[in-house]
Amino acid sequence: MADRRRINGPPGATMAPVFEDDAGQPEIKNGKGRDRAPNVIRKTFLKTGVTPSASGSAYLEFEGSSKSGVSGLKLSCTVHGPRSLPRSSPFSPHIVLSAHVKYAPFATKQRRGYLRDPSERDLGTHLETALRGAIIADRWPKSGVDIIISIIEGDQDRETSKSQGDETWDMMNVLSGCITVASAALADAGIDCVDTVAGGVAALVQDAGEDSTPRIVVDPIPSDHEKVLGACCVAYLPTRDEVTNLWFKGDLPASDAGLYTQLVENGIQASRNANRVLVECLGEATS
Amino acid sequence: MASSQHVLLSPAELSYLHSSLSLTPPLRPDGRSPTQYRPLSAETGILPGTNGSARICFADGTEAIVGVKAEVEKTKRRWDDDTIFSENNHHQQQQQQQQQQQEGEEENEGRNNNDEEGGSSDWVELTVEIPGYRDDDSGTVFLGQMLSEALLADGGFVKRLRINRRFHWKLFLDILLISPPLSYPLPLLSLTTHLALLATRLPKLKSEGDEDPFFDDDWAAAPYLYARDPATKRVAERPPVTLLVMAVGGNIIFDPSKEELAVADVVLAVSVGDDAQGKGEDRMDVDGSNPGRNLKLLSIRTVDPPSRLTPPGVANAANSAYGHAQVVNTGANQKMPEARQTESEAVEGVWKPPRGGAKAVVMGALVQKVLVRGGVADEVLDALEGVDTS
Repeated sequence: MADRRRINGPPGATMAPVFEDDAGQPEIKNGKGRDRAPNVIRKTFLKTGVTPSASGSAYLEFEGSSKSGVSGLKLSCTVHGPRSLPRSSPFSPHIVLSAHVKYAPFATKQRRGYLRDPSERDLGTHLETALRGAIIADRWPKSGVDIIISIIEGDQDRETSKSQGDETWDMMNVLSGCITVASAALADAGIDCVDTVAGGVAALVQDAGEDSTPRIVVDPIPSDHEKVLGACCVAYLPTRDEVTNLWFKGDLPASDAGLYTQLVENGIQASRNANRVLVECLGEATS
Repeated sequence: MASSQHVLLSPAELSYLHSSLSLTPPLRPDGRSPTQYRPLSAETGILPGTNGSARICFADGTEAIVGVKAEVEKTKRRWDDDTIFSENNHHQQQQQQQQQQQEGEEENEGRNNNDEEGGSSDWVELTVEIPGYRDDDSGTVFLGQMLSEALLADGGFVKRLRINRRFHWKLFLDILLISPPLSYPLPLLSLTTHLALLATRLPKLKSEGDEDPFFDDDWAAAPYLYARDPATKRVAERPPVTLLVMAVGGNIIFDPSKEELAVADVVLAVSVGDDAQGKGEDRMDVDGSNPGRNLKLLSIRTVDPPSRLTPPGVANAANSAYGHAQVVNTGANQKMPEARQTESEAVEGVWKPPRGGAKAVVMGALVQKVLVRGGVADEVLDALEGVDTS
């Protein structure tokens, strides 16, 4: 008869797992960094219709970096509406768009609160600008639509503490993801748009090493590079060849106008690539 | 406050405004030229309780004040900082810095080496207050982020706030719009912040090295945050300014008023800074002949044009009051009367809110127009230089 008064350990011998130190880490950090070509965006997973209770929804995931400890961006977006505005609100001849972007408290290295902080509100404003250009707003007078995006996981390097200043550049990546996923969710909700809008990021980066010159890459992961000198996020409508939102940040000399133009062009290219994923995903959903 | 506040203009008025702004040269409602700013009066040092302050009043009645307050704060250490500190080492660095200042050209190199000693962006706290709008209103937040983004973009500003390895200044910039927001207040707030920063002085440091900071209590000896050239009394490097620029029908218009924004095709906020590099050459011919500044592009943001929210006009051809037969459509059109109305062709003189975005080329042209040597950004910076900030 076994001893039933105590909780005994398992009968067989067990071994606690021992993990080897990731000795290759520093070399990867200094040596390789980015393992994609400069004009290739990360692999993207996009799926619509993930939240049944919302009128439209989408989920987006970017592939993580080759380094361990860097997980990809994960976004979920729900669209509620179009629905009638509350009685108290004034007449609007257009659909009233409101975008909420919120990091989950555990999404980033530093914990986020439950209330939206200024950077999240700022992202919401950017997103609104990007989408307002795409939606055909006058087909729904007196109605509103809410777009709610939660960032389940941000793409940050969790291994090092030395990612100071990366957060500002991460916001660009997050915004481009938000634009793409919101566009998919709007299409899923059946809200008329002039085109599918997708976001793309291009950055001027400086790699580690003595003799590296600044170069332009699309869809950068800030922790892959020594320093980001400037970045721009573009929301782009491919069939109309129009930009609905442009956000540039950095430090470029005015004399070198070509650099700015190149950055924007690369951003548009990144956005075209993201748009292909978007179109394919929407095609799958309808077929 | 959003740029998209409601403008009480009828579709006919909007159409008139749009066509007059699309003329070459454009006819603006207040008679300005396309690159002309509103006349303004400015003064600095109006608040004795602050480290620096400024007030600007635009001719249209909008007025803003900015107060800058500074506090000493302990710098947070990260675990991978080398916590061992040797006095020797620091003196060497100081000497290096002095040398670099003497040889202006090496300054840039020195910056790269001193990168570890750069500051962090949370040494600056910027708040915007606009009467009638909540602090956490998305428009207000957007304005605040835009202004602080320009300030922090090149990382050079926070370096000014460094006292030593253990302490830094924390700068609080409080931006208040006093008047009701009669127009999108971005240019006003940016210019006022610029002047307030120029007028900001921090107490003179008496302690040396990494001691607890100890300051000279003589306010007259306090140095400016943006150092003046002792010979010419001119400011060597200047804080950034943010310009609001819009495009409408092929014309580029600076500092648009509220009515002009209501018909804009695309609105950009462009922040430019005065590049300190190459200043060495400029120094040589300081005597009046202004060769133009070396501007640098710090940030660009698209501002949601309020024109997208304006009510559309109805063409006579589609208006039943003007003999348009109502039931002539079949099928899909009948189900969606609104769609039929809005999908109709653009008619001359009937206002249609813009749809979609802007061509990348148009945005590029806007940015180029801001940055061009001797252009509006130069003019604005020159005009601000005329304000007495001492």
